[in-house]
Amino acid sequence: MAHYPEPVARLIDALQRLPGIGPKTAQRLTFFLLKRPAEEVRELSESLVAVKDRIVYCQTCFNVTDADPCRLCADPARDARLLCVVEEPNDLMAMERTGEYRGRYHVLLGALSPLDGIGPDDLKVRELLGRLENGTVGEVILATNPNVEGEATALYLARLLRPLGLRVTRIARGLPVGGDLEYADQVTLSKALEGRREIS
Amino acid sequence: MQIGWIQVVEFRNYRTLNWTPAPRLNLLQGPNAQGKTNLLEALGMLVTGRSFRTSRLAEIPRWGAESSSLAGELGRGEAEPAARRTVRRTLTKLEDGGWQNAGEAVEWARAIAFGWQDLEIINGAPGARRNFIDGFATRLYPAHLATLVRYRQVLARRNRLLQGGWQGEAGAARLEPWNEQLAEVGMELIARRRKAVAALQTELARVYGALSATRGKVEVRYRTALGEASEPAALLAALARARGAELRRGQTLVGPHRDDLAIEIDATDARAFGSRGQQRLVALALRLAEILPVTEAAGTAPILLLDDALSELDPGVRAEVLRELGTAEQVFLTTPEPLAVEGAAVFRVNGGGVAAA
Repeated sequence: MAHYPEPVARLIDALQRLPGIGPKTAQRLTFFLLKRPAEEVRELSESLVAVKDRIVYCQTCFNVTDADPCRLCADPARDARLLCVVEEPNDLMAMERTGEYRGRYHVLLGALSPLDGIGPDDLKVRELLGRLENGTVGEVILATNPNVEGEATALYLARLLRPLGLRVTRIARGLPVGGDLEYADQVTLSKALEGRREIS
Repeated sequence: MQIGWIQVVEFRNYRTLNWTPAPRLNLLQGPNAQGKTNLLEALGMLVTGRSFRTSRLAEIPRWGAESSSLAGELGRGEAEPAARRTVRRTLTKLEDGGWQNAGEAVEWARAIAFGWQDLEIINGAPGARRNFIDGFATRLYPAHLATLVRYRQVLARRNRLLQGGWQGEAGAARLEPWNEQLAEVGMELIARRRKAVAALQTELARVYGALSATRGKVEVRYRTALGEASEPAALLAALARARGAELRRGQTLVGPHRDDLAIEIDATDARAFGSRGQQRLVALALRLAEILPVTEAAGTAPILLLDDALSELDPGVRAEVLRELGTAEQVFLTTPEPLAVEGAAVFRVNGGGVAAA
């Protein structure tokens, strides 16, 4: 049986370890890269190393950043009274893309997940409590995912923060904008109904 | 509703099949192991997107096939030729060896299946009765399925925490968010199951009365350790009481996953009641009792997939079952031996093929 030359086999093996990539896709990517110009491949490999070398977690909000504290934490224009708690840096980016939110963030770097053995001590919970100590923050917005892990994390934090006497809110679950009621799934629709508001 | 035509490709023992069933009663005859049950499964999967026999997709494609597909036309009511939808469903093998199930949902399409395994609803473990009521509740309220999935997710995570042996205050704080979710989602499940039981009750009494020709009174009740309570607080309180035992055993001991249905005939548990034939009759009556409530919920009659539903029944009872089926819309009924039924379209199923008899 024929074998791939060692460098090819090594790359296939490395790519295969990425999430969502199986053996066939890893092979396809490898042969795609083989055909590309050398500088393009060098650029890719350098950017891979750069994320590992130059990116750190902000020691205040735990977003990924190339400067600590990160731009968001260092920005005096952001409202320090509002703190939005998210699971991962990409959730923070999603909130930022709305352009609506002008407060600060706290990234937990995960969610409570008993199946993966992840408890409160494995998340940036203690650091969150530390940030609330000086009393500047008046409202904590829990923006964890609406799945069971995210919901458990939000419930855990709500219970933990309640005695601190600040406002704790949970983002609403509801209908996607531009969607049609008729095509909404029932769970979303019933959650949207539960979270209905008075209209003036 | 009706299936206008169906195309089956690489599905169980079928290589390719194109079949146009009759709009009402279809009798599928043929020796065993020729594909009668597989055809029922394909019809059910075309309608609902899921198999009523298995949740393991890998079992469904023909041996060695890389994909499997179903296509067909679903129609809603005879009067509206416009309400016809062509649906396609495919099972595809993924790179990681798993199978992907793709196809659109048809909001009004429902199928009710009856087979040998339904005897377990009567004489099996509580899990069989929970599956029965969850299946029926899902046909009435499609959101029930998502609730069930979510409940199972919460339960698995909570059990893992209990197995972790977290004691004292730290353990309680860890369990708390899972307790709250379990209570909320669990009560949602229980509420729908109770509504489903209530919806079944009247029809079950009528159908069983008609089939058995006795004055026997059938009753289904939802049995839960929570009694009549309907608030999440009741489940939370029950969890608090069970905490010690739960930690010792490493599993959640109260909630809808421990509930059961009581099925009684003249105040006697159906499990202890009479012969296998009588138990089968109760199981069949349960399925037939689903028809009316499901029709009302979906706005159109479900298709019926009845696997060997007439065996072990007395001739008189058979006639009553067939009369009851006359009130349904499209029915698929398999029989191992030839059977003469007025107005039925008869097909022979043999070696993965279907031909008009």
